[in-house]
Amino acid sequence: MRRWLVVLVACVAVAVGVPVAWFATRPPADAGVPVTSVGILGTDPSPSPTGAAPAARLPTLTARPAAPGATTTSPSPVRLRIPAVGVDAAVTPVGVDGRGFMVIPREVRQVGWYRYGPAPGDPAGAAVVAGHVDARQQGAGALFPLRGVEVGNTVTVTVDGGRDLRYRVVGKQTIVKQRLPVERLFARDGAPRLVLITCGGPFVPELSSYRDNLVVVAVPVAAS
Amino acid sequence: MRSLRTLAAAGAVAAGIGIALAAPAHAAGTSQVSVLHGVPGITVDVYANGDKLLTNFKPGTLTDPVALPEGTYDLKVFAAGKGPGGTPAIEADGVKVPSGANITVVAHLDADGKPILTPYVNDTSTLKAGQARLTVRHDAAAPAVDVRAGGKPVFTNLTNPNEKKADLPAGTVNADVVLAGTSTVAIGPADVTLKEGTNTIVYAWGSAQDKNLKLAVQTIAGLHGNPGGVPSGTGGLVDDALPLPLVALTVLAAGGALMAGRRVAVTRRR
Repeated sequence: MRRWLVVLVACVAVAVGVPVAWFATRPPADAGVPVTSVGILGTDPSPSPTGAAPAARLPTLTARPAAPGATTTSPSPVRLRIPAVGVDAAVTPVGVDGRGFMVIPREVRQVGWYRYGPAPGDPAGAAVVAGHVDARQQGAGALFPLRGVEVGNTVTVTVDGGRDLRYRVVGKQTIVKQRLPVERLFARDGAPRLVLITCGGPFVPELSSYRDNLVVVAVPVAAS
Repeated sequence: MRSLRTLAAAGAVAAGIGIALAAPAHAAGTSQVSVLHGVPGITVDVYANGDKLLTNFKPGTLTDPVALPEGTYDLKVFAAGKGPGGTPAIEADGVKVPSGANITVVAHLDADGKPILTPYVNDTSTLKAGQARLTVRHDAAAPAVDVRAGGKPVFTNLTNPNEKKADLPAGTVNADVVLAGTSTVAIGPADVTLKEGTNTIVYAWGSAQDKNLKLAVQTIAGLHGNPGGVPSGTGGLVDDALPLPLVALTVLAAGGALMAGRRVAVTRRR
């Protein structure tokens, strides 16, 4: 009887201990500040003086030439590195697919930069870079290690022409895809920031898809 | 062509809705107003309700938008330094500025070459992600025209002072203006960048007779939509749940515990 009691205790210990230990030791899914809190403009900006003033005098207007001309654009990002977790990926410009979703490069070792939004190095807004965490045919993707990123890690974006832009991770968060706050993550105003997005959370085999997005936000490090 | 016309009509409806929706976003009782000078050969001063609004305003230039309180404006345009007394070169009385709209007032020639002022309401309704809005306005002393992109007519039979518009995939189009129904090029070609999330407004201005037809471009940004989501994984390698071997181990142990428990109970009963 004593022998069976020992077996019982051991089995209960394993049955309870394994899942508890697993949950306790896995890397924290969320870290740092909420990703939607970075760089966002106040929801209630003070009214602009030109708008609020019951103008007794009309404002003076300034004019500039309106001839069609080449628009200036910032250089595109070409490479993304996060040395702390071993991310090193080529970046390609991407847009949206027919359903309005962000296009993710089919090649999982590449990541896509949302070319309609700000570019890294632009004076305002969120530059968004997204990549597959993995794919059924190709295995682990470029952003597979993203869940191991910690607050304070350095992210380096190389832009066309060779210049390196350095960012510091300030937040990491797992968000259910249906509730992804795209209007904030893709905001074109507010402080400049880098938003990295991949998949995370439980895998849903029926949909060949993950339930969540893993979002990492980083802010520029002033060149010293 | 029909689909484009339908698009333009839909756009016009959307513009009305856009204005209604945009109203609360602006400071109460103002509209964003820009002014474009499209009368060749004359530098002017512009007065609104007797106040000087613009000085030394040159042809082919456009002002930055400014918030004007809603109300009715008497606009007078004088040759530079000649106002505000006397007879203006152009005038428009009772121009209504509503609340919450985005307006461009254009000084231009009518089809017969007489200078006039035309206020246009710009469509600032939100676009789908990846789309840009193209608006074309005929403000030239010229007959009806077609606007072509890459050699194909996009807007047909556009007459002074009317406009046509469509929402198109963002990109650069090589545009020219031809006399309606012909391939006689009146203006261009010119590369026009349709930046995503903007309303790019192209004005044809000048005079066909004086051979000084030109294009002017105004861009209104901030109309972009966002992607619907980021589908970025199909493999299931990082499934954020208890890994299968650990699940098996847990089940095995639970089974063992059940068996051992039964044995213990049986032994006790004996």
